[in-house]
Amino acid sequence: MSEAANSLIQATADHLSQFAPFDQMEREHVLWLAQKLALGYFAKDEVVLSPELADQTRFFIIKQGVVVLGEQERSQAPEGSAWLELHEGECFPLGALLAKRPVTGSYRAGSDVFCYELSADDFLQLTRLSTAFYDFCTRRIANLLEQSQHLIQAGYSKASAEQQSMSSTLSAIIRREPVTCSPDHSIRQALQMMEDNGVGAMVAVDNQIPQGILTLHDVLSRVALAQTDLELPVIGVMSTQLTTLPPHAPAHDAALAMARQGIRHVLITDQGRLVGVISEKDLFSLQRVGLSRISTTIRHATTLDQLKQSARDIQQLARNMLAQGMVAEQLTQIITTLNDLLTTRIIELELQDSPVQQIEFCWLALGSEGRFEQTLNTDQDNGIIFALKDDEDPAALREVLLPFAKRINLALAECGFPLCGGDVMASNPKWCLSLKEWQNTFDKWIYHGAPMDLLHSTIFFDFRPLYGAAYLGEALREWLQEAAPKNSRFLHQLAVNALRNRPPLGMVRDFVTGDDHAIDLKMNGITPFVDAARIFSLAVGGAQTNTLQRLREIAAPLNISRRDIDAYCEAFLYIQLLRLRLHHKQNEQGETLTNRVDPDTLNNLDRRILKEAFRQARKLQTKLGVDYQV
Amino acid sequence: MNWLTSFFGKKPELTPQQVQRLAAWQALPAPRPGQKLRESRCVVVDVESSGLNISRDRLIAIGAVAVVNGRAQLNDSLEIVLQQAHVSAKDNILIHGIGGTAQQEGVPPADALLAFLEYLGKSPLIAFHVAFDESMISRALKTFLGLDFRHEWADLAYVAPVLYPQFARSHRSLDDWMGIFQISNYARHNALADALSTAELLLALGQKLEARDAASFRGLKSLERERRRQIQPV
Repeated sequence: MSEAANSLIQATADHLSQFAPFDQMEREHVLWLAQKLALGYFAKDEVVLSPELADQTRFFIIKQGVVVLGEQERSQAPEGSAWLELHEGECFPLGALLAKRPVTGSYRAGSDVFCYELSADDFLQLTRLSTAFYDFCTRRIANLLEQSQHLIQAGYSKASAEQQSMSSTLSAIIRREPVTCSPDHSIRQALQMMEDNGVGAMVAVDNQIPQGILTLHDVLSRVALAQTDLELPVIGVMSTQLTTLPPHAPAHDAALAMARQGIRHVLITDQGRLVGVISEKDLFSLQRVGLSRISTTIRHATTLDQLKQSARDIQQLARNMLAQGMVAEQLTQIITTLNDLLTTRIIELELQDSPVQQIEFCWLALGSEGRFEQTLNTDQDNGIIFALKDDEDPAALREVLLPFAKRINLALAECGFPLCGGDVMASNPKWCLSLKEWQNTFDKWIYHGAPMDLLHSTIFFDFRPLYGAAYLGEALREWLQEAAPKNSRFLHQLAVNALRNRPPLGMVRDFVTGDDHAIDLKMNGITPFVDAARIFSLAVGGAQTNTLQRLREIAAPLNISRRDIDAYCEAFLYIQLLRLRLHHKQNEQGETLTNRVDPDTLNNLDRRILKEAFRQARKLQTKLGVDYQV
Repeated sequence: MNWLTSFFGKKPELTPQQVQRLAAWQALPAPRPGQKLRESRCVVVDVESSGLNISRDRLIAIGAVAVVNGRAQLNDSLEIVLQQAHVSAKDNILIHGIGGTAQQEGVPPADALLAFLEYLGKSPLIAFHVAFDESMISRALKTFLGLDFRHEWADLAYVAPVLYPQFARSHRSLDDWMGIFQISNYARHNALADALSTAELLLALGQKLEARDAASFRGLKSLERERRRQIQPV
């Protein structure tokens, strides 16, 4: 046997190094691996590995060809064995080898296949030898996602090496010791210190505990215009309602706080003591559009034109954040928060001098907005719920509310939220109802379960109060939490409906695609998760509307392992991120926003993660199918 | 030393150590006849030479990979360049890519060939178009070690057409068969890379061999004879 690595070993190592996780491993370890490999061949349809071949369990890396896991087109695959295709460079099994147990599914050759094979012992030794390999084996999706995230950031950020991500902790962003004064210092002294230190905000502390904050912005109204005596104690002109966050909180928390409260500074405190001040500038020094500036502009907007500009700014902000590598969960949250503000302001403007002021009502966000999952292209889904006093006639109130709702719908459309094609909007008399009427409507859907009822429930049951008398929305939610779990037939029908939509894992290539050679990330990727989470959540009487929170909420009552839930969430977020990136690209190129992506345009890594994500979707669906005997 | 020396039967001079190594190889037991491919070792080989003339051109490199228990064992492989007194012609170098310096810095022929024998053991040899590889290797062994190399060889160029008669007429070269099974090659005309491709072809033929109860070296030989009779009826 040759001692040094000959050209075959080198070439094999080179080949492996084109694929994850081998591309992350040290050359020396890849060479070690290549020297341990045997090369086998499997004719199409031959079984490569199955639970019955327990004594032959070893590690396979596909050199060439397709291996299929699970039985083809089996609608009722046992849990965890949803089938998928594996291609050149992909490896299997991982869990079985790590746990030293037989595989649970069977692997067949989907075409003529050449596989590298590694003995189980050598596999375990490799996990000890190479950290990168171990990491991949144990954290699979998470690991692939990290790699993908690096690529995205590398792709988006043009030469900004210092760019910090929104997930860095606040302690990493603090730039300097906080500039502080005592509450008893005079306004003059405080202003002088601000000037000397070149800061935009002064914090008064007592024994390092913050008492108040004065920003340059406040000086204008509270000091200069109010002609306040500069010798008075500074605490008198300070804001004493302070927003504080701990140093380990991620930057996006500060961003959210700024957006929600319309402020520009957040105090960082450690066990009550001030350790730093984070300004909007610190967070978004690289962004043209500031989060709090947008929210402030929205709050103070007086015309629709101003709001239209803010809507464009929201889009720009989302793109910038995407470019900074912000993860999908926070990004969709921020978009939703800002869109909520925008909607709120539109409603407020319409309310001025409107007879609607006399009516107690709540504006409901439905669909993706209800779930806090808005992306860059979301048409509007909304409704109104109103209170009835004594023996008021709902129809009479509706007559007042409908024209008002219509104006809001049109204004939202002008701000870039297209009118809903299915007319799921507050201006539709069917969706502008009293609490009692909503309950009756929901009750009918749950009781009858006609196809249209099922479709409606997938949009309406994700409702949440956005503006106005929130208690009305909450009451409706509480009612639904009681009513939905009682009707198992309805849940069964929802499950049947949801399972009609299968993630497109392909037979021959990676993905089944439509005529345009594309897959629909929303329909085939997001929806299976959203639907399953909704059904499970309704079944356990959950209160959440957000898909991730629903998944986390159902874990305990349905006895789903934490690891499975994490994998579902990661998969869901990945597809969401891919959608956001797709929209971003379409935006840049001035194309219409769609959810359809041609898998061939994805890089190798993304294709693999997407496949893995779809596999998770199938796994979740399998659970749904088992639970509801579909 | 040239081909004339061996032609007139002059024995090469070997060091005592080389004599001992050769004797040790000769003393190895022959494998049991009729062993199944999935339970034994055979060695798939390919050579590079200074040209295509069997009686005149020199052996430059040997590449070999063992198929053990039905799997090509990547590390059970050999890649060796024989030291050349004269560098081969430029157009020849362009084929196998072993440059002048590499040829001169190769392993002295006797040692290289001993290393090949020790690697091979008594495992049967498999190649594509055996006639060429066998002549090159045998002549070199005769020249440099004085060895009469009478070894078992099987030829996939004769076996494959019997298993796939539909391709028999149109597919003659290794490239043709690689095309059918989509076998890749990391460096065509590198002896080891070609040996691996040949080994992959052997693996790919496995199912049909099993179906004909010919998945043994003996089975390969019988298919080979069948093919020879087909094309050169006695």
